[in-house]
Amino acid sequence: MKRYLSILTAVVLVLTTLLVPAMAETEPVKIGAIAPLTGSLATYGESVTNGIKLAIQEINDAGGVLGGRQLDVTYMDDKADATESANAFNKLVSDGNKAIIGSVTSGVTAGLAALANDQGMLLLTPTATADTITDGYTSVFRACFRDSFQGEVGAKVAVKLGVKKVAILYASGDTYSSGLYEAFKTAAATQGLEIVDVESSSTTSDTDYTTQLTNIVASGAELIFAPYYYDSIGPYIVPQARAAGFTGYFVGADGWDGTQNTMVADKSLYNKCFYTNHYAPDDPSPIVQNFVKKYTDTYGAASLTALAALAYDAAYMLKDAIETAGTDDTAAIIKAMTGMSFSGVTGTFTLDASGTPEKAAPVIEYVDGVAKFYASI
Amino acid sequence: MDGLTLFIQQVFNGLRVGSVYALIALGYTMVYGIIRLINFAHGDFIMVGAYTLFFTVPLMISHGMPAWLSVFAAIAVCATTGVLVEKLAYKPVRKRGNNMSALITAIAMSLFLENMAQTLFGANPKQVITIFNLPNLLGFNGNTLVTILIGVSIMVGLTLFVKHTKTGQAMRAVSEDKKASLLMGINVNRTITITFAIGSGLAAIASLMYIVQYNQVTNLMGYMLGLKAFVAAVLGGIGSIPGAMLGGLLIGLVESLSKAYSSTLTGGIITSAFSDAIVFGILIIVLLVKPTGLIGEKTGEKV
Repeated sequence: MKRYLSILTAVVLVLTTLLVPAMAETEPVKIGAIAPLTGSLATYGESVTNGIKLAIQEINDAGGVLGGRQLDVTYMDDKADATESANAFNKLVSDGNKAIIGSVTSGVTAGLAALANDQGMLLLTPTATADTITDGYTSVFRACFRDSFQGEVGAKVAVKLGVKKVAILYASGDTYSSGLYEAFKTAAATQGLEIVDVESSSTTSDTDYTTQLTNIVASGAELIFAPYYYDSIGPYIVPQARAAGFTGYFVGADGWDGTQNTMVADKSLYNKCFYTNHYAPDDPSPIVQNFVKKYTDTYGAASLTALAALAYDAAYMLKDAIETAGTDDTAAIIKAMTGMSFSGVTGTFTLDASGTPEKAAPVIEYVDGVAKFYASI
Repeated sequence: MDGLTLFIQQVFNGLRVGSVYALIALGYTMVYGIIRLINFAHGDFIMVGAYTLFFTVPLMISHGMPAWLSVFAAIAVCATTGVLVEKLAYKPVRKRGNNMSALITAIAMSLFLENMAQTLFGANPKQVITIFNLPNLLGFNGNTLVTILIGVSIMVGLTLFVKHTKTGQAMRAVSEDKKASLLMGINVNRTITITFAIGSGLAAIASLMYIVQYNQVTNLMGYMLGLKAFVAAVLGGIGSIPGAMLGGLLIGLVESLSKAYSSTLTGGIITSAFSDAIVFGILIIVLLVKPTGLIGEKTGEKV
């Protein structure tokens, strides 16, 4: 009996060894994702993971990649904290993930980019817009444009609106806000705009801006460039400016996305407000409408922001790169993604030498509280 | 707009912020005055009250009642939270440790409430339906005026309560000497519970006036608000009821005027972004120069 058992074991062992290569072809391709799932920026993490999940679901339902292999995504929380994100990154790498999508905010992603480049891991951030994220790194890519470009578009919007005197309100302690302030200031000078007042707050989470806005009104500015996030634009900055007697234009950047959810009751206050974004939800093209409908049906409209659209595109960019590479080898996917062309919800673009898309920015205008496409600049 | 009009406007802006700080500082000072505990979770009681308003205001409106009535629901919820926090966290610690461990427990309680709110209601900011919006009176913001009026009436009411009622006398006795009060037949635990209920109830009123001005609720809203109100209470003299009112308004003014003029006065070296640093700088100066605050009473015991 014992002998039979050992023969049986031997046979099983041999068979298993023979079968392994055949099974590997149907094994899922492992991908990691890092986003702030808890903490103060958890809403961003929610949008981004929903966007990725939606795309992965579609890809897997349509038969996966590389002739029938499913994509298997592991989501890790970075709490928008640099240390947490590095831990998450190392865990994902040691677990054998082939590529990593993330993270969401620029501050955290900057740290990850250096790590990824050192280890030759593919890092694709859907949303980190800080200028230098992809510079000098061969394995780091993104799906969004950079901040300096947004500041430039902001100045062009001001010119298009026909104003001369502009004021800036920004958060000096915030990388995103002060980066956009610098970019706008430079662009305003070349566009022939006169900056009549510059006011600042220490953080983007202040609740009262009335004092700064009163100064801006006194300066006679016709337009305020306000690079803040939706959680202070909607309830505080715009209503307080209107209460202080400001009747002119507001121009903001992609941080404004989602302001329609944080507006006060009187939506007419938000007329004459413009911001640059990554996509326009009312864009009639089928790919955008398909995304908007599927997302709303699955996750509801509240978390449907540009971040979700960018994450959705990032997942498809990765899929395209894997298909082009024809293998799940990280180095091959990196090679395939370098300089790739892509067409998705957030536009049609080619990645530049650093790994950042070159694309147009849709400018959105609020009309009685509804986000409407204004122009593409 | 000429310089003087602009200045007056900025003073009004300062009073607008300061009136809210004053209301919160009243709650801080009330609790500190009786049990010598700086309740760092007080700012988060504002958040608890604000979430209560967020949920009850639509209910009130759908039942055809004035929206501000939901402040009573908020008072009930805040007072219950305050009493629970006292019974479950502060009291056991106070029995075993000293004032320092109670202080650290208060910070822990603050973090606990903030994170619990995020788990329960999510990280997304919530918009509260406009409760009321008062017209301007002689160019003075109506909401600010009502906030200051409420603040002053609470200040007077509290002073009378503490001076002239049996419970108030008990509170003062407990604040003087817990052991002696016990010997005098005062129910010390009951007195402390009542203090917490009142202090937290005041937080609910502050959250109403905050919501009227700022409309938005988040789980972290109480953090900065609480710290600034704490500075206000220290500036006025922590433990002193009129001091809290005065300190709140002064901090609001300092914040507004430093934002408005620091950049012009210093040639752009100190910008409006420094206002928080200036406010907290005041805390350090007060603690160094006059730890009892502007109108604080002298006490032998300090935290």
